[in-house]
Amino acid sequence: MTNQTIQRVEGALRNPLVLVGVGAVLTVPAALVLVLAFPLYRGLLSDPFWFPLLVMAAVLFLILNATAVCILAERKIAGFTQDRYGPNRVGFWGLLQPVADGLKFLLKEDIIPRRVDKPLFLLAPCLALIVSLVGFAVIPWAGEVHWPWMEAGTTVSTQVARLDIGILYVIAVGSLGVYGLVLAGYASNNKYSFYGGLRATAQMISYELPLGLALLCVLLTTGTLRLEEIVNQQAHSGVWYVFVHPLAFLLIVICLFAETNRAPFDLPEAEQELVGGYHTEYSAMKFALFFLAEYAHMITGSAVAIALFLGGWAPLPFTSWLADNTAWWAMLLKFGVYLLKVALFIGVMMWVRWTIPRFRFDQLMRLAWRSLVPLGLLLMAAVAVLTLFGGQRVWWAGLGVNVLVLLGVLWWAARSKQPMTGRQEDLPPVEFGAM
Amino acid sequence: MPKIIIDGREIECRAGIPVLQAALEAGLAVPHYCYHPGLSIVASCRLCLMEMKLPHPQTRELVWAPKLFPSCQTPVQDGMEVRFDSAAVRDNQKHVMEYYLLNHPLDCPVCDKAGECYLQDYTEAHGPGSSRMVEDKQKNPKKDIGPHTLLYQDRCVLCSRCVRFCDEIAGTGELAVVNRGSRGEIDVFPGRPLDNPLQGNVVDLCPVGALLDKDFLFKQRVWLLRSTKSVSPADSGGQTIWIDSNEQGIHRIRPRYNERVNEWWISDEARFGWKYVHRPDRLNRPQVREAGTMRPARWEELPTLLRSRFAEMTPGASLAEGALGPSPDTALKGRGIAAVLSPMMSCEEAWLLARFVRDVAPQATLVLGHVPVVGEDQTFPKGFTIKAEKCPNRRGVETILRHLGGHTADFRTFLGQAVERRFDAAYIVGGYPDVWVTPDVADALAKVEFLVVHDLFPSRLNERAAVQIPGATWAEREGTFMNCDGLLQPFERAIVPPEGVKSDGQFVYELAGRSGLFHARKVRDEMAAEMPQFAEVFVPRELPKHAH
Amino acid sequence: MRDEDIIVLQEPKLSPAERLYLPQIFDGMVTTLRHMFSLKRRQQVVRQYPEDTRQGRGELRIANYRGVHRLNKDAEGRVACVACFMCSTACPAHCIHIEAGESPWPDREKYPVKFEIDELRCIYCGMCEEACPVDAIELTPHYELVGRTREEMIFDKEKLLQVFEETKHTKPRKDPPITDYGLTGGQGKDVASPNVERKV
Repeated sequence: MTNQTIQRVEGALRNPLVLVGVGAVLTVPAALVLVLAFPLYRGLLSDPFWFPLLVMAAVLFLILNATAVCILAERKIAGFTQDRYGPNRVGFWGLLQPVADGLKFLLKEDIIPRRVDKPLFLLAPCLALIVSLVGFAVIPWAGEVHWPWMEAGTTVSTQVARLDIGILYVIAVGSLGVYGLVLAGYASNNKYSFYGGLRATAQMISYELPLGLALLCVLLTTGTLRLEEIVNQQAHSGVWYVFVHPLAFLLIVICLFAETNRAPFDLPEAEQELVGGYHTEYSAMKFALFFLAEYAHMITGSAVAIALFLGGWAPLPFTSWLADNTAWWAMLLKFGVYLLKVALFIGVMMWVRWTIPRFRFDQLMRLAWRSLVPLGLLLMAAVAVLTLFGGQRVWWAGLGVNVLVLLGVLWWAARSKQPMTGRQEDLPPVEFGAM
Repeated sequence: MPKIIIDGREIECRAGIPVLQAALEAGLAVPHYCYHPGLSIVASCRLCLMEMKLPHPQTRELVWAPKLFPSCQTPVQDGMEVRFDSAAVRDNQKHVMEYYLLNHPLDCPVCDKAGECYLQDYTEAHGPGSSRMVEDKQKNPKKDIGPHTLLYQDRCVLCSRCVRFCDEIAGTGELAVVNRGSRGEIDVFPGRPLDNPLQGNVVDLCPVGALLDKDFLFKQRVWLLRSTKSVSPADSGGQTIWIDSNEQGIHRIRPRYNERVNEWWISDEARFGWKYVHRPDRLNRPQVREAGTMRPARWEELPTLLRSRFAEMTPGASLAEGALGPSPDTALKGRGIAAVLSPMMSCEEAWLLARFVRDVAPQATLVLGHVPVVGEDQTFPKGFTIKAEKCPNRRGVETILRHLGGHTADFRTFLGQAVERRFDAAYIVGGYPDVWVTPDVADALAKVEFLVVHDLFPSRLNERAAVQIPGATWAEREGTFMNCDGLLQPFERAIVPPEGVKSDGQFVYELAGRSGLFHARKVRDEMAAEMPQFAEVFVPRELPKHAH
Repeated sequence: MRDEDIIVLQEPKLSPAERLYLPQIFDGMVTTLRHMFSLKRRQQVVRQYPEDTRQGRGELRIANYRGVHRLNKDAEGRVACVACFMCSTACPAHCIHIEAGESPWPDREKYPVKFEIDELRCIYCGMCEEACPVDAIELTPHYELVGRTREEMIFDKEKLLQVFEETKHTKPRKDPPITDYGLTGGQGKDVASPNVERKV
């Protein structure tokens, strides 16, 4: 193709109508096939084994594409926050930027430095991505569904694995995510990468603790580890656990930033200090896998947080609307609600990223060990005492405990000399001799 | 040792030297142009003037004399008190500097001396910073005064160092100050260019950019150069030199002060004799003959190859036996092997190679290589000598051979034996800047079956060598040379060898079966354990900038 | 520096809310949110580059913009450089390579036989321009500098002189304070004598 043709194609794609047309050409036939082939796969939809797998395939497809959109969204949000436009050259409003990025990643030279540990070097990005995706298995995307052609009273679940230990599985798998980063840092044979890997481990270990403590608060109230149960409880009572345990939610959100290595806790890849951290030596598609893993991790993390605190698929708080509705349209609605919540959650994470500067490593550690862990312990102890006296049955009792703990922390903060964030106060005036 | 007081500080100094010299040796930066410790004193520049305490004519008590005295012309006396750190002295320096700059062109950006120029540095340190001169400056075209030297007369400060050098040190007297006053200039006599064998020193002596080396002209700015301590391989005297290099290229060679050999001077041979280092036809990869033709070899395969080939040539003499010493039936083994150690090698390299050969073949013959001699020793009036022997380390190699004992031979004898086909294998080290393989040498060595040639340039041995190893020049190696008087002087590496070439020391180190990096110092320590001659090296005192 | 010149700054005391850090974070998030939705500011600040350039808007300060280098020519069309190496000495990126030679003109000593600037290594700090005693090397307002190979981006003397030809109308050569360095001692322009007087 000559430069002129390329320019012409580019120009055409910047026209929104052309873009919609291209989109339609690509999607309408696929949709048609899906509709026409409906009788063929109708049986699968009502099968309790195959249906969750189909859901998973759909979700995986959706999420892998969503990461691409996430990258565009991130860059757009970054641009807007900094009074810029963000990407706006490829396609209308820069909408085709993810396509261009993907093409670029595929076509770039895939460099494997000579002195790396090759098997581990190749394994690391795959591991990072796989681990961040397997968490989806226990997410109750849209509860139960009853297809019209099924026997009355029977339903199929949209959840792939209905595990008794649902939340434990998420935690176990989620912390494995750091393994990919450590391997990448180790295999790269590069000091900066290794630093990145080390930082990731230390950070992960530190932030697992408050995360676990905050989870315990919720689990003491729910009495179950099954995510679908937890969501059901919230949907039926209409009381989302964020109203019961606001402090625990806060802890979880903070820890989520750390677990996903997002700013302000993105120390493992701190560009200014570590070149690129654990992915310094990675290029082309292997680098893209890390990118993908980060965003997939964000999506899993926020999906879990939403299931625990924000009512999962429940569309509105303080009402049990749709809670028992298993109609197929309700299922689609619940699914949409869940994805919307995830999108909003991720939007907030990006918003935070472009607001708060990166922590210093000692500040990061101090925040975990001197603020979050004590707060989590205190909170868990309070909730445990409350549960002992049956307080978990009254929702405002939990809220009251949270408020009390918050007031206690405020009182402590007001009188303590040490700030919680590690900023040094009352530095002695620096003395200079006569120079 | 007399004691004098300079600027209130008591200083002990050698007797009979001028106060200026005492001050310089005490580390004071006293400006001066005409004074040079190696030349006679003329006290013409008036820049080193000092204040001195003298007895008052009436009271006989010691007071600061109202007049300034040239410190270069005043010998030290015990108990005298002088000062440079006074208003009068500084005022004098300032005005003398202004005077020197009356006619001096401000062309420092294109002057080769800039950066090491006394005038530039003194103007910065002591000068007035501005000139009150309103007339046009005198212009004087540059003069070609000799095959190697240019004279930029308008930069000259008429310190007459160059004139005195030619009179006193070289004894040839080509230069003279002609005319008087502001028209005075340095010149040569018609038909007698400046071409004595020491003339390059006038360029170093010149405190300004008046006398410049045609060879170095416009090549580099001096602040870009890196100076490395080295010893000249030009003759067996062991003149110490600075190698000034930049970006792996030598740009010039300057004398390095050495109280025991060459003092402040070097011969032109030492100064200009480095050009061969950058000759494009240098050997640059090892080659091994296979089925009659040479093939490029890897450096890593050479040590094993040489070791096994030499071992084959000495039937029955395995390495272990060699280490145990010659047993009765190995007495004759290895007689067919010879190693020719060039006097261009450093002591460390010669020792490592000799040890390697004796290790493989205990009865091998060690030969001192070709010693080039040109004419006779040339001695100059003040004692500076250019040696006739044009190699740096004959004595060092001899010392090593004498210590190792066994079969040794000189080069002529070796050639004679080679013609009689007494040798199956030989390791020949060259490293000479000039052609040394004469037809008779080549013919004699053609009788050797397995010939290893370690040399800088292609020669007549090319067609005869079984293994050809490219050598490195002295500037690309480190080690020590022992001069003709037995003085052991170390030299450092100035530049890296050309691509494909390994420094000789590193190669023979690996050949001797050692791993790691060759450090001349460590090898020398080993040698010193066996040979006391190598226990101590002589490193001349380093003088500060503008110390002479 | 005297003691009384030193101003000792005391860090401000943190309020309890500030110590908790979170309220400040929310404060910051409100700020970024405000920026996110201020279309007007965005339009003012951002310039859509290929269509809208600083040059087009007349905002480029031609006199001091530091773009690609040029080697100036003097009034007679000869290269003004005297090969003094000051620029390459001052260059923090070591991107200037000069080979000096004896000049073919009577009014100066040296001239650059080779003069190369590696435009890829250059950091466009302008130190070479500052260092030049004859104002021979200058940075031009030309900033759209691209090439397909690394070799192409090493500008030699001819190319640098060509840049001068192309930019001399937009940015004329400054009047050099010193015109000749050479055997004349910096004042005479009327030297017609041969370069070297052969004595031997």
